[in-house]
Amino acid sequence: MTDAEIILKEINEIFIDVLDNDAIVLTTETTSDDIEDWDSLTHIQLVVAIEKHFKLKFTAQEIRSWSNVGEMIEAIINKSKTAI
Amino acid sequence: MMPFSTGEIFTRKFIVTSSVYQGFIRTFEDRNPLHTDKDYATSMGFKDIVMHGNILNGFISYFIGECLPSKNVIIHSQEINFSGPVYMGDILTFEAKVDSIHESVNAVTFDFIFRNELNKKVAKGCFQIGVL
Repeated sequence: MTDAEIILKEINEIFIDVLDNDAIVLTTETTSDDIEDWDSLTHIQLVVAIEKHFKLKFTAQEIRSWSNVGEMIEAIINKSKTAI
Repeated sequence: MMPFSTGEIFTRKFIVTSSVYQGFIRTFEDRNPLHTDKDYATSMGFKDIVMHGNILNGFISYFIGECLPSKNVIIHSQEINFSGPVYMGDILTFEAKVDSIHESVNAVTFDFIFRNELNKKVAKGCFQIGVL
């Protein structure tokens, strides 16, 4: 399993927990339009949960640049490398 | 710039007065006998009628809305676990500690605890606020 696949699996669990929806199956192409309840408020909850889980902090600009889950994963990988 | 720092602690004392108790019942109409009937409450093992747990949530609302360094805040989420009864007249010490700051989304998470005069924990939990 690649780093990206592991992170995808982990953030899938975060999405299920935060959005309280066991049916969520994320792919790198998933966007907020694909998931009911992924709105501006739950997006905050998701980012907080992701930052806590991966022990990372993003900037507002970084978050705004994400257009899908794949870019979110890419940002997590890049941040993790910087943190090391 | 966030008006908080990680690990920062805020404390506040709250008293469950008759006025708070009566106001809660008048507003929400929860007259469960545990909260209104002393004989029932004592038969259940409590020393007196038990105050509604959600009165503590009202104190948290006041704390967030009125006592933090900035009034430009909104509650995102709140979670509470009750671990002991609160009685009329109890003086509760509320302590909230900044757990994490998420500047990317202007959010701050806190852990909190309520203790009574005997220093016994009666509730604990966490909440998240947004800084507007």
